Amino acid sequence: MTDRSDKYSNKYKLSISNPKVFDAVKMGISILIGLTISFVILIFVSNNPVNAIITILTGPLTKTRYIGGVIQSFIPYAFAGLSAGVLFKAGAFNMGSEGVFILSGVVITAIATSPITTSSILHPILCYLGAIVFGGTVMILPSLLKAKFNTNEMVVSLMLNSVYAGVAAYLVRTFLGTVQRGSNSSKDYLLTAKIGNIYEPLKISVCLFLLIAVTIILYLVMTKSRLGYQIRLAGTNPSFANYSGINAFKLSITTAAIAGVLSAMGATTALLTQTSYYTPSQSLVGIGFSGMLLAMLGRNNPIGIVIAAFLVKYLEQGSQILYFVDNKVPSEIIAIIEGVIIMLVSSQYFLRRFRERKLLEEGLEEHAE
Amino acid sequence: MLNNIIETIFSMRFLLQVIRLATPIIFASIGAFVAASCGIGNIAIESIMTFAALAGIIGSYLSGSAWVGVIVAVIVGMLTALLITFFSMRLGADPFLIMIALNTFADAVAIFILFQFTGEKGSSASLATKSLGVIDIPIIKDIPIIGEIFSGQYVLTYVCWILVILTFIVLYKTPLGMRMRACGLNADAAKTAGINVERLQKLSLALSGLFAALGGAYLSINYLKIFTKGMVSGQGWMGVAANGIANGNYLSLILSAIIFSFFRAVSIIFSSNSSFPTDLVGAIPYLSVFIILTVVSIVNYYRIKRGKVEEQ
Amino acid sequence: MKETILKLDNVTKVYPNGTVANRDINMEFEKGEIHSVVGENGAGKSTLMKMIFGIEKPSSGTITYKGQEAKFNSSMDAIHAGIGMVHQHFMLIPSFSIVDNIILGDEPTKSIFIDQNEATKKCQELSDKYDFELDVTAKVSTLSVAKRQKVEILKTLYRDAELIILDEPTSVLTPQETEKLFDQLRQFKQQGHTIIFISHKLEEVKKISDKISVIRNGVSKGTYLNEELTMEQLTNLIIGRDLDSDMDKYKTHEDFNNEKALEVKNLYMEKNNKPVLDNISFAVKKGEILGVAGVEGNGQQELVKCITGLEETAYTGDIFICGNRVNDFNIKKRRDVGMAYIPEDRMNDGVAGELPISDNLISTYYTREDINKKVFMDTKKIDEVSEELVKTFAVKTKTAKANVNSLSGGNVQKVVVAREYNTNSKFMIAEQPTHGIDIGSEEFVHHKLIEMRNAGAGILLVSANLNEVMNLSDRIIVMFDGKIAGYFKDANDVDESDLGMYMLGAKRQSIEETGGALND
Repeated sequence: MTDRSDKYSNKYKLSISNPKVFDAVKMGISILIGLTISFVILIFVSNNPVNAIITILTGPLTKTRYIGGVIQSFIPYAFAGLSAGVLFKAGAFNMGSEGVFILSGVVITAIATSPITTSSILHPILCYLGAIVFGGTVMILPSLLKAKFNTNEMVVSLMLNSVYAGVAAYLVRTFLGTVQRGSNSSKDYLLTAKIGNIYEPLKISVCLFLLIAVTIILYLVMTKSRLGYQIRLAGTNPSFANYSGINAFKLSITTAAIAGVLSAMGATTALLTQTSYYTPSQSLVGIGFSGMLLAMLGRNNPIGIVIAAFLVKYLEQGSQILYFVDNKVPSEIIAIIEGVIIMLVSSQYFLRRFRERKLLEEGLEEHAE
Repeated sequence: MLNNIIETIFSMRFLLQVIRLATPIIFASIGAFVAASCGIGNIAIESIMTFAALAGIIGSYLSGSAWVGVIVAVIVGMLTALLITFFSMRLGADPFLIMIALNTFADAVAIFILFQFTGEKGSSASLATKSLGVIDIPIIKDIPIIGEIFSGQYVLTYVCWILVILTFIVLYKTPLGMRMRACGLNADAAKTAGINVERLQKLSLALSGLFAALGGAYLSINYLKIFTKGMVSGQGWMGVAANGIANGNYLSLILSAIIFSFFRAVSIIFSSNSSFPTDLVGAIPYLSVFIILTVVSIVNYYRIKRGKVEEQ
Repeated sequence: MKETILKLDNVTKVYPNGTVANRDINMEFEKGEIHSVVGENGAGKSTLMKMIFGIEKPSSGTITYKGQEAKFNSSMDAIHAGIGMVHQHFMLIPSFSIVDNIILGDEPTKSIFIDQNEATKKCQELSDKYDFELDVTAKVSTLSVAKRQKVEILKTLYRDAELIILDEPTSVLTPQETEKLFDQLRQFKQQGHTIIFISHKLEEVKKISDKISVIRNGVSKGTYLNEELTMEQLTNLIIGRDLDSDMDKYKTHEDFNNEKALEVKNLYMEKNNKPVLDNISFAVKKGEILGVAGVEGNGQQELVKCITGLEETAYTGDIFICGNRVNDFNIKKRRDVGMAYIPEDRMNDGVAGELPISDNLISTYYTREDINKKVFMDTKKIDEVSEELVKTFAVKTKTAKANVNSLSGGNVQKVVVAREYNTNSKFMIAEQPTHGIDIGSEEFVHHKLIEMRNAGAGILLVSANLNEVMNLSDRIIVMFDGKIAGYFKDANDVDESDLGMYMLGAKRQSIEETGGALND
């Protein structure tokens, strides 16, 4: 595996031969291609494509409440992304995040609807704690079966997600429901459980700081802790991890638990900041899955994932604004942009020749010196 | 109540329901199987079915012919499969990541396209589309019981069962199939026998896309006669699961698919009965897949541990 | 005058990473002869055969087959030209029947279907013609190794191969099975087939060959008629190299009170009902290097697996590392009581290529106090440690932050050795520590091993490179067929051709003589 492309990879200068610069350039070009393709689509579907793309890109900046909407809505997605990022980094394909979101919604709702405390500080904390303990546990099952019996974790987690969706709907309908909302949704949360905004115009709540804190901690764990080191090793070369004496079973359970905790935090944030009741078939659906896309976009780096979550939500907000102006373009266009970018970013050989040519030139130059 | 349940399960109505529900799952299963036989895990079956279901409806709407719809669905399915090979073989992407991404935004892309034709995001109800019907087989249709089972089924159900047999014949009786299986079992051995492994893998993934697409087309053009958001609802994954359980055995593949359909039928029949909690009944098929898959893997684990499993 | 079927002119193979596998090889093969190509492991035999069979392309030089220059793009071209190859690692599909394995890629058909009847008939006829005694409808997974080999040979015959290459065909066979194979090879010869026989078991080579070509270090050392050569001459041609006397000055022997770093008692292990480790007992004292010599595949790999605990394996006997019975320990616990391990499969077990050198330099002791703070790892200290290791081990890179993938093979191995060196363990297993790396790195690794020994570590050196074993070891055991075939108390007194005889199974010591491996 000693191709010449890596020979000069340790040259830290602002050139495409530097892998970090190359990655950034690749990401930039992928985003450009993604936007270009969506523009081409807009030419077909929109009466005013130029205006449409400008609206998507700049729309959210036109009003503070738009930006506020982005800030409020991106946080749960960022948590889901962090959750998927941890698993991907460890080489695991447990897709249980979606199920954890939906099922821990029930736990959160149960706590948020019962008057266990009158403190508006303690109540949300209890919601978080309940969800974290529950979500961390639920997430383990597919990884445990995989580690012990080599059961296909992807299929297992997906099937369980669907089971959990049914169970959540049943529990809410039977125990937490209210006739006023056709019993598909829960009762209203107690006011003490809700998390208000610190700065209302931008909808900044304490959850934003929670996300920032969790991201920093996770970044430190992944880059500086022994656990993060184990995850890196097992994720890049499992037999080397085994040779080095790392217990694969314990590690996969730990990673799944962390991922579950992160997803549960996302679920709690979403419910306590954005709604006042829980509808299992709506409130949290799709967030867990989107997390996987965000992890791919952010290259499994916690900070990258949070940025990706913000940008994707920003573009979605832009496309929703566009929908008000031009109702021919549904906000799902963002999925197309996202998909194109992810596929290009994941492609090792994309733009590689360009970089190799540069490397060759540099190699020749060096030789001439 | 127990009597009631047993009565329902042994009724003709139930059997017919199983047959109808089995068609897309079997399509998905043989799709997953063909790719896996050649050494490629196709986990994008679910998204291919979604794309194909929509493509079929749109093809049918634009052309006014249901069969053109089927052809469009098949083309879209195969192109999606080839898109995966383009990214994984030509651009060096991890095929797993590409397929996960495909699955994750398949619904959104489908809705975007649906919206362009209907102005709605939920279903294709407002499109005037042609559907495929059922086939009545003369003579057989007049035989009691057998007539009910073998005649009057949906067109693509017949196609499905013909393909089940054809796939078996191609895989196990022709040089092409033998070479494909060789690639999956020992790619090095296939290579030294002068077989172009990469080309066969591309072909098998395209075939896999074709089968999945027929499954999608069955849902939209033949069975439900409409495209609705999220209509594939895990049936593609059931195919992937059936393939995992089959572990290279064609008969257990089809059996697993039928068992999954049985539980889907149970779920559908009992959800109309108000004495059961609908939400939980709806989870039965997925729970059954989970339990069967887990039990099979545990059994295999102990068989391997005791050294009883034959090498592949 | 016999007809030349295959001729190699100045064939050279240089791999992209700069490894020279073959240099200016000249050989001529005549029709209807059994022609052996012999040499040590890694001498370049396999690469040469791969070029003849079209799997690899020569960097320069020409291969002439039947009077025409052969430019094979793939093995398919070679097969069509009439060349067949029986690979050392069988290219069979166990769940397929014998027939299916034979016809794969060239199936007889009736309309669109495989004509099973015709195929079975043809294969059975072929099998019967050469007295292979196979029921061709049986599944390959049910067959013994010897029968699987027959299937491989039938594959080449089915495709009408005139030239058959057999790569180490006897390495998996019992003596009786080998005898039978030889009968068959003689039969092929009579029918006009040409056989190229690759082996490093000299006795067998002497028995079967008409001609023998020797390769050493990628260079051909001539072709000889079998009767021209004695066993001793042949051994010298294969392994005759000048000893690196440079090492001797490092061999200052200190006594560490006869403390044992490793003790192995009565180790026994079976595979497919055949013992692969048969009553193995020996000890490695602190401050010595015990060399394990032997041709690959005589139980060394299994021995290493038992001692390191890298995989769960079933065996009987006792293993002690630094006085602890480790039979029930996993690899982590064994490392904790003082084991270090340089693995044979460097890229798979030894490093994570996509991670920085610094990450790779600490993997086996990442929990150690000196590179950890209370909560997190001490990244600054890790950087310091790794930069220093990179410097002392002369790893060619600008920074320890570069990925391991950017290094050449020799430098990757330096990373592995540096890491294991830095564990300060009292016991080290070095498994093929210089396999496939450049001479500069090889020498460097050797010096570091000696240095560790002088500091009091006991080292078990497992190597197929005889020169390496002889240069580095204090004592030597030779493994053959799962047993300790020979034991030498003082490596300085060993005659290399004598050692070669033990390695190739031509000589064997009694249990009393080999007992010294444990007790001396």
